[in-house]
Amino acid sequence: MIEQIYFAIFAAVAVGCALGVLVSRHPIHGAMSLIGVMVALSGVYSLMASPFLATLQILVYAGAIMMLVIFVIMVLNSAKDSSTPRFDLHAMVGVFPALAIGAVITRLIVAWDAKDGQAVADAMAKVPAERGTVDAISKVLFGGRETSGWAILFLAVGLLLLTAIVGAVLLAKRRLDKAPADPTPAHGGHG
Amino acid sequence: MIDFDLPFLLAIAKFALVFIPLCLIPICIFMERKGASLMQDRYGPNRANIPLLGGIRLFGFVQNLPDGIKLFTKENFIPRGAHTFWYLLAPMIPLAVALLTPSVIPWFGPMVVEGSRGLATVSGQILDADSGVLVLFALSGLSIYGVVLGAWASNSKYALLGGMRASAQMISYEVSMGLSAAGIFLIVGSFSLTQIVEWQAAHTWGIVVQPVGFVLFLTSLFAETGRAPFDMAEGESEIVAGYFVEYSAIRFGLFYMGEYAHIAIAGALLSTLFLGGYQIPFMDTEAVRANLGFVSGAIVAAVGLSCLGIAYMVRRWARIYSRMQTTDAVDRKREYNILNGAFSVIGLGLLAVAAALMVLVHPAKGGLGAADIWPLWVNLGTAAVQVGTLVVKILAICWIFVWVRWTLPRFRYDQVMALGWKIMLNIALVNLLVTAVVAKLVKG
Repeated sequence: MIEQIYFAIFAAVAVGCALGVLVSRHPIHGAMSLIGVMVALSGVYSLMASPFLATLQILVYAGAIMMLVIFVIMVLNSAKDSSTPRFDLHAMVGVFPALAIGAVITRLIVAWDAKDGQAVADAMAKVPAERGTVDAISKVLFGGRETSGWAILFLAVGLLLLTAIVGAVLLAKRRLDKAPADPTPAHGGHG
Repeated sequence: MIDFDLPFLLAIAKFALVFIPLCLIPICIFMERKGASLMQDRYGPNRANIPLLGGIRLFGFVQNLPDGIKLFTKENFIPRGAHTFWYLLAPMIPLAVALLTPSVIPWFGPMVVEGSRGLATVSGQILDADSGVLVLFALSGLSIYGVVLGAWASNSKYALLGGMRASAQMISYEVSMGLSAAGIFLIVGSFSLTQIVEWQAAHTWGIVVQPVGFVLFLTSLFAETGRAPFDMAEGESEIVAGYFVEYSAIRFGLFYMGEYAHIAIAGALLSTLFLGGYQIPFMDTEAVRANLGFVSGAIVAAVGLSCLGIAYMVRRWARIYSRMQTTDAVDRKREYNILNGAFSVIGLGLLAVAAALMVLVHPAKGGLGAADIWPLWVNLGTAAVQVGTLVVKILAICWIFVWVRWTLPRFRYDQVMALGWKIMLNIALVNLLVTAVVAKLVKG
């Protein structure tokens, strides 16, 4: 019972903040709403017996990545008091995936009956209760052969990210080298 | 139907521990002011006094009182063009985080008590998650939003610059903070802070096995709390007060208190990871329980002797003062008499209490059925001793923060970035690699 009350609160916050991302006309308001979505999702994860995932959601997404996003918004000076248009031509691209996902979910809800509920309950009964702890996740990731050993894939993804970062730094550095030595901006600047 | 048995009540009572960092804020502020004046060869706060109590100043501690009254009664000013919602929200975030994070710190060792459904272990943490310290990192990472939002919402260029510096510094130093603490997780084999402390009690303190990690972690904490030499977010000569330049009254006070609460929590984290946490040196929880009378008596006696020492100091000041020709001689003489008397009485009383504890308290393992169960009062007494130990360690680390702040000159911004990314990150990575290899070789 108390889980359902908490789920209702977290879900309401998540959906409300997601709407905020959609309709806010200021980049910072949108970014802060996205943080609200992430924190509420972290609450949902911890309701699903996954405390480690919930922690990482806040640590990585709400703490580090969104911090970086807000930092970039401020550096690029999009945080001026001017507002951006709520919907433009680029936003229309997102309409089609949203409609597709909406259709799938509607289909699922319409076709739902008691047999499906029983199937879901049976499937959930097979899932171990302690599935989202540090121990469980590290056993799945690095447990060796018996759990199919995702360690190599994990290392490969890490290497890929490192390569991407090094590439980004190299590209940025080349652009900086090409920039003219005279720091005065081309069109007057702000003085 | 909720069952109000003993473990449940203890779990509720543990929430009081959340307020320990808040209670340490005035002590930290007092320590900062007196420490600064000590190092700069001046008196520090010595004017504020309580007239109704014979004009006592308590060595400047009373200064907190008028400061608080001033902050609460000044005008709450909102600058024109500020984003009001975020402007009002921002100062609350650091203090909210400061109230959340102590729930992960283990304040005392786990105790086994008899509940209505058999034996139950009550952990010293309020939130005993197995990803314990990661929760703390995650929550303390959120406190920077207060700084950034407040900076942006104030509609001021100085504040915005300060907020951007703070966020860049925070992103940079969180990396090396996590990596420098990773060594101790690797050795202990757990994220749980209680297990880390128990490992240190069984083996040795974390600072011995991870000296490089300790130095890196301490430096990262200086940067995370945004204090000198890393106080890039503020700078009188460059951006005035930085991110809170537009804040006044108690909203500024919230930022100010958040900073000191952050220091107290940083001290708790550092002592838990590297300095044995709630453990008294060379005594594990069992030893404290078995010798509770002697241990608690020794601690109370130490506090009592300190009180007597303060009384002796006051008496010497009074003697020096009586030779000087000053206008406030009558007031000071009265204050010194009051302080001398009060501290002498408290000190002697505490010594008597200590003697009584040593003579009277001899805990035996108590008849609840199982052989290794201690009675509740022994458990609670041990918990009190351990909370006191942790608070002493926190205060010692807070003093190191003060000491460093008023000793080192501040860095330039590019020096901070170079130190974070080019030096500390690399040392932390090498430290982690060496630790991993050695741990693999030793543990097999």
